[in-house]
Amino acid sequence: MNGKQLLLKALKERKVRFLFGYTGGAIMPVFDEMEKMGVFEFVMARHEQGAAFMAQGLSRASLSTSAPQIGVCLSTSGPGAMNLVTGVADAHMDSVPILAITGQVATGVIATDAFQESDVVGVMMPICKQTYMPLVADDVEKTVHEACYVATTGRGGPVVIDLPKDVQNQQVKDDYRFDSKKFRPHLPGYFCNPTPEREPIKQAIELINKSERPLIFCGHGVINSNAGDLLRRFVEKVNIPVASTFHGLSAFPADHPKHLGMMGMHGTVEANRAIMEADLLIALGMRFDDRVTGKLEEYAQNAAVIHVDIDASEIDKNVKTTVAITADVYRTLHVLMGDPMVTCIPRRRWWDKINSFREVMKDDLREEIEVGVGNDNKLLMKGIVHRLSEVTKGRDLIVADVGQHQMMCARFYNYQTTNSWFGSGGAGTMGCSLPMAIGVKLARPKERVWSISGDGGFQMNFQELGTIMEKKIDVKIIILNNGYLGMVRQWQTFFFNGCYAGTPMQSPDFGLISQAYGIPYRKVELLQDVVPAIEEAIACEGAMILEFVCDPAEVILPMIPSGGGFGDMMTRHPHAPKKDQTKQGEAA
Amino acid sequence: MKRRAILAFTLDHPGVLNKISMLIRKKMYNVDTLTVCRSRIPGVSRMTITLRENDQARVDQVVRQLEKFTEVISVKELDTDHSYWREVAIVKLEMDASVLDTFHGRYNFEILEQKSDDIHILQVAGSTRRIDAFLDEVGQEHIVEIARTGVTAMEK
Repeated sequence: MNGKQLLLKALKERKVRFLFGYTGGAIMPVFDEMEKMGVFEFVMARHEQGAAFMAQGLSRASLSTSAPQIGVCLSTSGPGAMNLVTGVADAHMDSVPILAITGQVATGVIATDAFQESDVVGVMMPICKQTYMPLVADDVEKTVHEACYVATTGRGGPVVIDLPKDVQNQQVKDDYRFDSKKFRPHLPGYFCNPTPEREPIKQAIELINKSERPLIFCGHGVINSNAGDLLRRFVEKVNIPVASTFHGLSAFPADHPKHLGMMGMHGTVEANRAIMEADLLIALGMRFDDRVTGKLEEYAQNAAVIHVDIDASEIDKNVKTTVAITADVYRTLHVLMGDPMVTCIPRRRWWDKINSFREVMKDDLREEIEVGVGNDNKLLMKGIVHRLSEVTKGRDLIVADVGQHQMMCARFYNYQTTNSWFGSGGAGTMGCSLPMAIGVKLARPKERVWSISGDGGFQMNFQELGTIMEKKIDVKIIILNNGYLGMVRQWQTFFFNGCYAGTPMQSPDFGLISQAYGIPYRKVELLQDVVPAIEEAIACEGAMILEFVCDPAEVILPMIPSGGGFGDMMTRHPHAPKKDQTKQGEAA
Repeated sequence: MKRRAILAFTLDHPGVLNKISMLIRKKMYNVDTLTVCRSRIPGVSRMTITLRENDQARVDQVVRQLEKFTEVISVKELDTDHSYWREVAIVKLEMDASVLDTFHGRYNFEILEQKSDDIHILQVAGSTRRIDAFLDEVGQEHIVEIARTGVTAMEK
């Protein structure tokens, strides 16, 4: 056996089915062996970044299935590996387990600036959970098993294996023995204890019982620990409202009466106001990102905080914790559910207050959605997403890109299926949607997958239409085209006196692009065509592209300005002042 | 700014020092001193990092994030009241032997070599403050060259 055979053997033992990647000089031996083995389904991306996002999609979507898979992406050395960087950094920010395997130049020429050589370990180290570079074939198998273990346990994250070309071809020693079933990685510094300790649980229960205005935060950890259903039962038991983080969406039915929707910069009024008023925050598997908290000094000033997170370094990082529970959300909820000390209090006043917050923007939004068009009768994104939600009954899998349309998808799709919402949160990587949707579809082939992008994000990775064409992947693609980078435009409208620098964008004829890739296409400009177009895409066998011509002036509200507190929340469109260059500096 | 010492036990692997220094850079600190040595346990290194920070919460955050690395086994902040912080300096001095003699007894140093009548190489060990005091008293004008190890620390 040699290095490449052991690498693939270990991946097979780890139940890896799909390999996403792009070949090249330093990874050729592995590809050659993969072809000969014939046990993996290879999905060729058109750019390595696409491969990393496909791997993410597979990991994220399969998490809640009976057979979770780790997404694996392969690339060659140098530029191939560097193209993976964005996808790996993105996975790191969003705690997504993926395995990135990069070829490296032969050990004899490492650090000589050989052709296509980059210091992959050096580059990847700060943006992934762990890096490995096995230098002998005997270490390869062990490394792959350890890498998968590290990636998928505790707080998930990307792991990189940089494998020199000569090690791929090297034969193991005669006395080489390895038993994957008996293998336990030796990691004395790696702690992940998913079980909560008794003492903080007791303190937490005490806080919950005496709180008058408690609020539960449903974070990514709820999805990652498959605790959505348990959370629903817990919430119904204790009668406490729930607000979701961006990544917590779809863990909990979006229209559940106890659900207040997404919190944070573009969160709902009810979620954000409730945070301001709450006397207890029960944060489950989330990290108090700046887009969630706004100005920290003003954040939830009256609230005690129970913070449950599997990663101890998140405790007290941004928000001071009253009770810290370093554990898995599922196990924590399980313990809380079983504890008879937890009481259910009606908290009528609190609910009355919350219901009054719900009224603040309700009519405005309902009207906008019903009218469905803005200036020049161009379509409103929120109207389209709402209609998509109605037609699909909120049951489909949504993979959004990054920008205004992403917030529309987060706010106006009525998520009913657990783990049905995917996208780039922490890193905010434009162009993630199309490749990620491919991975999502492969993980859950029986469910319908929508990739929703803006015109900007779509053009960042639309080469992956090639993969969709070649592999006949059934992803329904929506382009919400408003001719601008919408989110930045919104900021320019609000804070830069409407000076649209670098945001207007000329796009190609997406119809011709679709034709070139042999994918059916429909352009929608009128409100009455929205629903029929969605229905047509659903009826279409295989991929279809829908382009909606949207109003560039549409904004997503409410909005908490960057660096502002919840008191600064804007619920109405301020009259955009006329372009005034002199005041621009102040507004910035 | 308050000086802090962080003690870390890590696996003796390539790249661990890189990871740790990268985290400290990411947190926007300039490392004051950093010493690494073998520990009592084979394959485990002992690292003492000193940096300056007034905010205790930020130091705790660094400790937690260091602990998160798979190669880092345990981390602790050591304060001066409950631990010994020591370093060693090798100093080349240009100074009359008779003057140097006057420091004997007050400072703990050892003459490693007398290169000529007035050039001495000596070794001083002790707390940072003690070494600083010695060097101040000797006077900058007499110091030809100096090498300091940086702090290594141990809990009382």
